[in-house]
Amino acid sequence: MAADTSIWQRIGFHRSFGVAEAGWGRTLAVAGVSFVYFLPVLFIIFTAIKPQALALSVPPTLSPTSLFGLIPDQFVFTPTLENFSSVFSRVMTGGGQPEPTGFDRFFFNSIVIASASVLLALVLGTLAAYGFSRYPLKGNDTYLFIILTTRMLPAIVVIIPVILMFRAVGLSGSYLGIILLYTAFNLAFTIWMMKSFFDELSTDVEDAARIDGSSGTRVFFRICLPQVVAGLAATFVFGLILTWNEFLFALLVTGPDTRTVPVAMNQAVSSGGRGTDWTLLAAIETLFLIPVFLVTFFLQEHLLRGVTFGTVRK
Amino acid sequence: MLAMASPDTRSIALSLRNVSKTYGRVEALHNLSFSVAEGRFFVLFGPSSVGKTTTLRMISGLVAPDRGRVEIFGRDWTNGTIAGRDVSMVFQSFALYPHLSVYKNLAYPLREAGVGREEIDRRVRETAAMLRLDTKLDRKPGTLSGGEQQRVALGRSLIRRPRILLLDEPLTNLDAKLRHDMRAELKRLHRQFGLTIVYATPDELEALSMGEEIAVLRNGGVVQTGTPDELYETPRDLYVAGKIGSPPMNMIKGTLARDGTVIESAIGPLPFARRLNTAEPGEAAVAGIRPSDIRLATGAERGVTASIAMLEPLGDITVISMETCGETLRLVLPEAAASGLERGQQASIVLDPGKLHVFRASNGQAIT
Repeated sequence: MAADTSIWQRIGFHRSFGVAEAGWGRTLAVAGVSFVYFLPVLFIIFTAIKPQALALSVPPTLSPTSLFGLIPDQFVFTPTLENFSSVFSRVMTGGGQPEPTGFDRFFFNSIVIASASVLLALVLGTLAAYGFSRYPLKGNDTYLFIILTTRMLPAIVVIIPVILMFRAVGLSGSYLGIILLYTAFNLAFTIWMMKSFFDELSTDVEDAARIDGSSGTRVFFRICLPQVVAGLAATFVFGLILTWNEFLFALLVTGPDTRTVPVAMNQAVSSGGRGTDWTLLAAIETLFLIPVFLVTFFLQEHLLRGVTFGTVRK
Repeated sequence: MLAMASPDTRSIALSLRNVSKTYGRVEALHNLSFSVAEGRFFVLFGPSSVGKTTTLRMISGLVAPDRGRVEIFGRDWTNGTIAGRDVSMVFQSFALYPHLSVYKNLAYPLREAGVGREEIDRRVRETAAMLRLDTKLDRKPGTLSGGEQQRVALGRSLIRRPRILLLDEPLTNLDAKLRHDMRAELKRLHRQFGLTIVYATPDELEALSMGEEIAVLRNGGVVQTGTPDELYETPRDLYVAGKIGSPPMNMIKGTLARDGTVIESAIGPLPFARRLNTAEPGEAAVAGIRPSDIRLATGAERGVTASIAMLEPLGDITVISMETCGETLRLVLPEAAASGLERGQQASIVLDPGKLHVFRASNGQAIT
């Protein structure tokens, strides 16, 4: 990636030929639809920086700025960062001192658990996918189908025996337990995704490498893997988003030390008996968005490129 | 006593003996045999899916035969590894490494062989210069033209100086002009390096113009092997006769007359200038005659009267299709001789008796 890529180019405003071919009318239409999609996210971010009292005000406050007088004053609120600090420490009982909430730990847990399980699934799944693609078994498609059936059952059906088994072997509440569980569930998706990327590659290229003197392992690492970098990035991002937001397994399998943010978020707003603190919830969600947002943003180049090669920008 | 090697007994670089290979229910190769002398430009010629690519993959070691034997420079490699054969291959699809630059594509076989960095650099630059790729070394294959990709593929195969180079329809994916240039380029490289080349092609022109020796393939086996002249002059059967030569040989159905020197056909008796040993009188036969062996009758000469159905001027020659008694015959005339002719016109033609080929109608084999 060249250093002169500006932020505007990174988010898609290319000046190059072709990108704006659709013209202004269509671009505005798509921009409108995109805005509708983005609205919930925007609303949460705005709620996160609202004073707590304005969270449910009627009429709602819509903007932290009057946009040079464009928006009437009753819809404008004064932004605050107070909610973000109360994510990590706040007064728990009436009149007491602010106490740490443990959310630093929960964010750490979410990052470790999601990235470890997605990476583990990526390593195992990519190897398996290469095998399924290049050395098909008798009844290859049957095995692939069976692998996918693990994702066909509703999670709530699967989790009960898992809880019992985890208790029996002592995996409940441990990092290893939840990471293994997420890895197993990401694996099916990873194998299917990566197999389709490997299927796209020309086997002539691999044969050429064999004739050029490469062993099977080197063909995989030096020839195949570099060609599916885009696929790895896409699979990683989709897997990460699914795992990052997972609630049910985390609720039932993690313990107090290994709790992830979605579970903690639920407990933060439902405990205390003071009703739901919407601005606090929005602040947690806003912080929770940032890691996945960043990863997706930096891998976007790869995601968009897909598996077309040769025209790689340097 | 000293054994005197005759000048033509060069050592055998490659030999395949009774090789068979089946994929599922499809028999790709069936008792295929041929051998290639060292330094020879050898062409495997046949239509698509006749087993050419399978044969090359077998020589390179990518697939092992079900039966038969593969020898390279006298050593049995039938079930041997890919490494150590000293064979390289250019794929029809070029099969360049799409994620690597031209430089790294060329360097790849040397890096895998553990050649030192400086030596790699020297040979990459030398090879690139030879193939006029020196200005493209930083480019990715996808940004190159077809001809450039082809040269990279060639360079990658030549850079480790293999003893045998396999070329699988290397010109099929190029346009006509480029194909012509690359034919010359390949012949030049062959001369320059004295390489043994096995070249697979479905294109008759490529086979005849480049091959020192050609094996004509059908249904996974070799029908006939020979020099281009041998195949042209004495095709072993109707298949070879029909494949070699453009426009293709005219085929006229008939019956061998009793004395064995004439074929009775719809357009009249066709005498030939030799006596056939293996013919049986009265047998159904096919007479073949090359378009260039038919000429217009001169003066009082008695010929076959035919009407001109089509004229195809091709510059210095003209291909003329003529119809007579339900048969269509094609002949090739120099442009000057054809200049006065018009469609629909009647003309008298003579089939050169010395150039008539005779084939058995039942199995297509040549009758000698």
